[in-house]
Amino acid sequence: MPPIIDDSKCTGCGVCAEHCPQDVFFGSEIKKTPVIAFPEECWHCYACVLDCPVPEAIRLRTPVPMMLSYR
Amino acid sequence: MTHIIMAGEQMEADVLVIGGGPAGLMAAIHAAESGAKVTLIDKANTVRSGSGATGNDHFRAYIPAFHGPDMEPVVKEVAKSQAGWTRPQSFVRTWMKTSFDIVKMWDDWGIPMKHEGRWEFSGHTFPGKPFTTLKYSGQSQKPILTKEAKKRGVKIVNRVTAFDLITDHGISGAIGVHGREDKIITFSAKAVVLCTGGCVRLYPGPTPGWMFNRADSPHTTGDGRAMAYRAGADLLNMEIPMRWAGPKYFAKCGKATWVGVLRDPRDKPVGPFVTKPDRIYGDPISDSYKGLFEDYMKTGKGPVYMDCRGISNEDYDYMMHYMKHEGLHGILHHFDEEGIDLRENPIEFMTYEMTTRGGIHYNEKGETSMPGLYAAGDEYFGGISAAATFGWIAGGKAAGFAFGRDAPSKNAGKESSEALKNLVREMRNRKDGPSWQEINVALNQVMSDYIGPTRSDTLVEAGTAHLLRIKEKARKDLVAKNQHELIHCLEVLNLLDVAEVIFAAIKERKETREKYIRVDHPYKNPAFDEKVLVCRKGPEGPLTEWKAIND
Ligand SMILES: Cc1cc2nc3c(=O)[nH]c(=O)nc-3n(C[C@H](O)[C@H](O)[C@H](O)COP(=O)(O)OP(=O)(O)OC[C@H]3O[C@@H](n4cnc5c(N)ncnc54)[C@H](O)[C@@H]3O)c2cc1C
Ligand code: SF4
Ligand code: SF4
Repeated sequence: MPPIIDDSKCTGCGVCAEHCPQDVFFGSEIKKTPVIAFPEECWHCYACVLDCPVPEAIRLRTPVPMMLSYR
Repeated sequence: MTHIIMAGEQMEADVLVIGGGPAGLMAAIHAAESGAKVTLIDKANTVRSGSGATGNDHFRAYIPAFHGPDMEPVVKEVAKSQAGWTRPQSFVRTWMKTSFDIVKMWDDWGIPMKHEGRWEFSGHTFPGKPFTTLKYSGQSQKPILTKEAKKRGVKIVNRVTAFDLITDHGISGAIGVHGREDKIITFSAKAVVLCTGGCVRLYPGPTPGWMFNRADSPHTTGDGRAMAYRAGADLLNMEIPMRWAGPKYFAKCGKATWVGVLRDPRDKPVGPFVTKPDRIYGDPISDSYKGLFEDYMKTGKGPVYMDCRGISNEDYDYMMHYMKHEGLHGILHHFDEEGIDLRENPIEFMTYEMTTRGGIHYNEKGETSMPGLYAAGDEYFGGISAAATFGWIAGGKAAGFAFGRDAPSKNAGKESSEALKNLVREMRNRKDGPSWQEINVALNQVMSDYIGPTRSDTLVEAGTAHLLRIKEKARKDLVAKNQHELIHCLEVLNLLDVAEVIFAAIKERKETREKYIRVDHPYKNPAFDEKVLVCRKGPEGPLTEWKAIND
């Protein structure tokens, strides 16, 4: 479920947890990998990915109910 | 479980701004520039909060160098648009007159308002009609506005949700609840500007099991409308529905940035305006006919696709650039995940859920019906340009008001703060009872079943009774296991108040007009011509009153 953090890359800087408008990372502590406490409340605004200073430390996965229908 | 006590804290300012979206940040910037001591509180973090969190790309504006010296054609066009059709022309005129100043300010601060060095207008436009939406690159608008506010000495308090205005001796501030600590803060102020954004999560969204999948930010839950209502201010046009449309199932989408043609499954364009992708127009059929996608599905003719096939390379790059600036990285990432290429794959569109078009009754000075209380932005929907423009105006006016009065007495807000403390304590210490989700889902059901697209007296009657029972349960039984859930509980209480007002307004407007439909009154009632419906709190629930449009 969105978002997904790569433990081996994340520095625990806390930026994603500070910026998330929905407080998906509620309960996170600085210097630790953030906890994804409420993944189902992600709005897919992408702020956490855009603002993370470490390349590929955090990414989103689109939940299946939100898959686009196309041809 | 430990017993939660809730600590108290006090803060003071001349002007208190509630909500730090583009409207609130512009209000704070102007009030501070005018010399006021300004505090801004935000439920999230102003760097990325609200519906403009990661960007927008269309800014309604009159630019003399582009439009020529006559502003009136632009005023008339905006007054007919989705953002202007329920507003008086005088309001739209002030908006357009001020818009260029705001555009220049934003450009100076580093929000790129030009495309390749020139003013570029596209999207939301009908062939042959004046252009009104300036293309801009808004991805960094929130961090930039936050920086400008701080530069002017605005004190920003993040992760605090305002829940009630202080009304002893006139508007004197607000009470907020911290989203991460068990703490209640009393903000005393001489003037208050409400800028809490839209009213999301009233109706079930496109994926009811995935509640936060919404076009606008799901953490904007009509808090300003509910606070204003409880304080005694007027709400306006609450019965008029508003709907968005966009890619099916992925709601954070921004429709007008898509450069394609809306077509049926046999590739026939569904509208008369465009037959090949054209970046200047997009496909404006869905601007004037948001229910299109739903109607095609209901009649079995659907689905309808946004078809970008045949787009030029240059227009494709243009579209991709602006999708990023409209904050659509999420859906762009999904294209990558699924191997979707807009040059080859038509994407199904749908009509999203309803919300209310109406909101706090604020005029072109940002004044509400209560002295000292101002409002701006999506407290009554208008989009990003209205938010920035009327935020700016309201902030200046609020500062002026604050200079003319004394600070509220030290005791102001004591009673309301105690009442809120008790309510919150109960929700935090209760062991069993409904969660905020239960109440939110129950509310969504009532909204769509009783005052969805089909509205009538008997439905309103039954729905109101059910809503009031849910509301009573919520007040009595809601359980919040932590501060995060506590904020959601407060949001749900606000949504319930807003819902009650919408029910009352629908009950009163017994007619069919424009986008407002009553199946039991399928005609326009001339008695309501040139009038608007205002709601305010009475001793036993919402009161309604018809007013002349310009009052
Ligand atoms: C993807 C997308 C694309 C869009 N594109 C465009 C576009 O191109 N052009 C256009 O005109 N419009 C566009 N819009 C709409 C536009 O973003 C909004 O109209 C605009 O953000 C409104 O600004 P606002 O300041 O009124 O509200 P918001 O930006 O929603 O800000 C509200 C603020 O209030 C805070 N808040 C809420 N409740 C409380 C509370 N109780 N206490 C304290 N703080 C609170 C929130 O945290 C938030 O910071 C788009 C919207 C989306 C989602
Ligand atoms: S995409 Fe937005 S809402 Fe989702 S976790 Fe990241 S910052 Fe939060
Ligand atoms: S912003 Fe990136 S590096 Fe910082 S805590 Fe979040 S995931 Fe880790």
